[in-house]
Amino acid sequence: MSGSREAHARHPFHPRGMAPHVIECKEAFMSSTTSAAVDPNRTRNRIFVGLGAAVIVATYLYLILAQPTELAEGGLGTSALIALAGYLIGAALIAVGAIHRLPTATLSLIPIAIVINIAVGQLAATLGLPVYLDSIGTVLVGVLAGPAAGAVTGALTNVIWGLTIGPIALPFAVTAVVIGVLAGYAARLGMFRRFYLAPVAGFVTGIVAALVSAPIAAFIFGGATSGGTGALVAAFQAFGNSLLASTTLQGLLSDPLDKTITFTVVVLILFALPGRLRSRFPFVRQYNVFGKVTPVAPAEPAAPKA
Amino acid sequence: MTTTTLYLERTSALHRLNPVTKLVALLSIILAVFAVPHWWIPLGIVAVVIVPAAVLGRVGGRLLRLFLILLLPLLVVLFLIQGLFYPDGSTVLWEWGLAQLTTEGLLFAITIGSRLTALVLGSLVFVLTTDPARLMSALTQVGMSPKIAYVISASLQIIPAFQARAQSILLAQQARGLAIVGSPLKRARALLPLLGPLILGMITDVDERSTAMEARAFGATPKPTSLIIVPDPVGERVARWLMFLSAIAVVVLVVVGVIA
Repeated sequence: MSGSREAHARHPFHPRGMAPHVIECKEAFMSSTTSAAVDPNRTRNRIFVGLGAAVIVATYLYLILAQPTELAEGGLGTSALIALAGYLIGAALIAVGAIHRLPTATLSLIPIAIVINIAVGQLAATLGLPVYLDSIGTVLVGVLAGPAAGAVTGALTNVIWGLTIGPIALPFAVTAVVIGVLAGYAARLGMFRRFYLAPVAGFVTGIVAALVSAPIAAFIFGGATSGGTGALVAAFQAFGNSLLASTTLQGLLSDPLDKTITFTVVVLILFALPGRLRSRFPFVRQYNVFGKVTPVAPAEPAAPKA
Repeated sequence: MTTTTLYLERTSALHRLNPVTKLVALLSIILAVFAVPHWWIPLGIVAVVIVPAAVLGRVGGRLLRLFLILLLPLLVVLFLIQGLFYPDGSTVLWEWGLAQLTTEGLLFAITIGSRLTALVLGSLVFVLTTDPARLMSALTQVGMSPKIAYVISASLQIIPAFQARAQSILLAQQARGLAIVGSPLKRARALLPLLGPLILGMITDVDERSTAMEARAFGATPKPTSLIIVPDPVGERVARWLMFLSAIAVVVLVVVGVIA
């Protein structure tokens, strides 16, 4: 943190024509107002996030442990209801608890990320690519602004998706939340300091995403989320796997690949961004997301001329 | 805002209802439909509640079209997978290689399919008849964070600007010799030169927008004044609670075992 302050102080002008002390003041102002405004609700928001995470974990464990006996009795039982309600309530709690922590700069980044998610996801679908690519914006926000921001982006992307294209993606909101949170923690752990580490983080995120979304695909969609994935589920079932095992295997085939590509695209975009843009985000500076202690230093000397 | 969403501007009783009431009705229907283990209940609700609501809201034609585009392919895939490859099927009706048409599989497919139909059609009627701006105002009035309302409204408004910018970047890159025709792999490779400038420009905008919002004290007052005040009559508030409580009652009855 002190390193980046020195970096700011060293430059005569900020690239957007704002003197560095103005930036510092703005940040100080932002952090003071948010903490002052949030203070009375701080514990409530923490409880929301914790409760949401607990509900999601409990839902997944219940579905994994209770499902075989219920299917053996020849029905769905309450699995579908628990998958839908548990995941939606958990995702909503996390999103509501997390959004109060976010400063205005992060909040104004989220709509852009949502639009990137939807636009690129649609583009990938119309190009007929075998991957979804619908979480580039979520991962981008998670890396630049932290896990809470990633979670909010993921959840609200699915709401927007429901309002603009169709409500079929809405039950998968929890997966988007998980992806945003994991991208944030991966950045915090330094997985975006080297371009070859990001795909590894993407692969791991993909595995978790596949596990979390398998019960939704199984109990709410009966394995039929789209033509191609449906064929895979049918093939796994034909070889004697249960429904949940089949959707899990299908997810493990496509999600890690998709998230590896997504994280790679994000790391390439972020590495191509000028350092001063990246280091504008407090989360990036606090956790040294891109590895260099003074990422602004090499790019800055040219700024006053421009 | 209305051009990018599915919302259709009509004058009907359904459009005039408070959006929160419609949302509670939708959630109650979904809760009940997913709790009850009989496939004919969701289909009954579609026939008795959802389709009449769409006709009342004068969005029936659009609903039918969206059903054919969005839902029908899923239902076909569902019946192919579960009808032919259901793992626990024992009553075989027809067999061909690995595929077995079983009664259990068909029953499972029709259970999932009827619930999915109620879920998707119900949500579509809600989205088709509810103005997003009005929905956000109504939800803020009943206590939702204005920050959520901001993010959702801003996203919906950015979409057209984003498309225009993507188009101009695409043209500029093509002028520099970027090939966007050819095999899917070639077209996928064209994605990166498009995304880079797009995201760079968007992140630059973020700074300006957040400065403008900070200057107008965004997020400072816990309860900002709303431009659109959505009327919320007592009758609707009572109806909301009644719908919610009866949905909970259905779930309890199913869990206890009265409805089986």
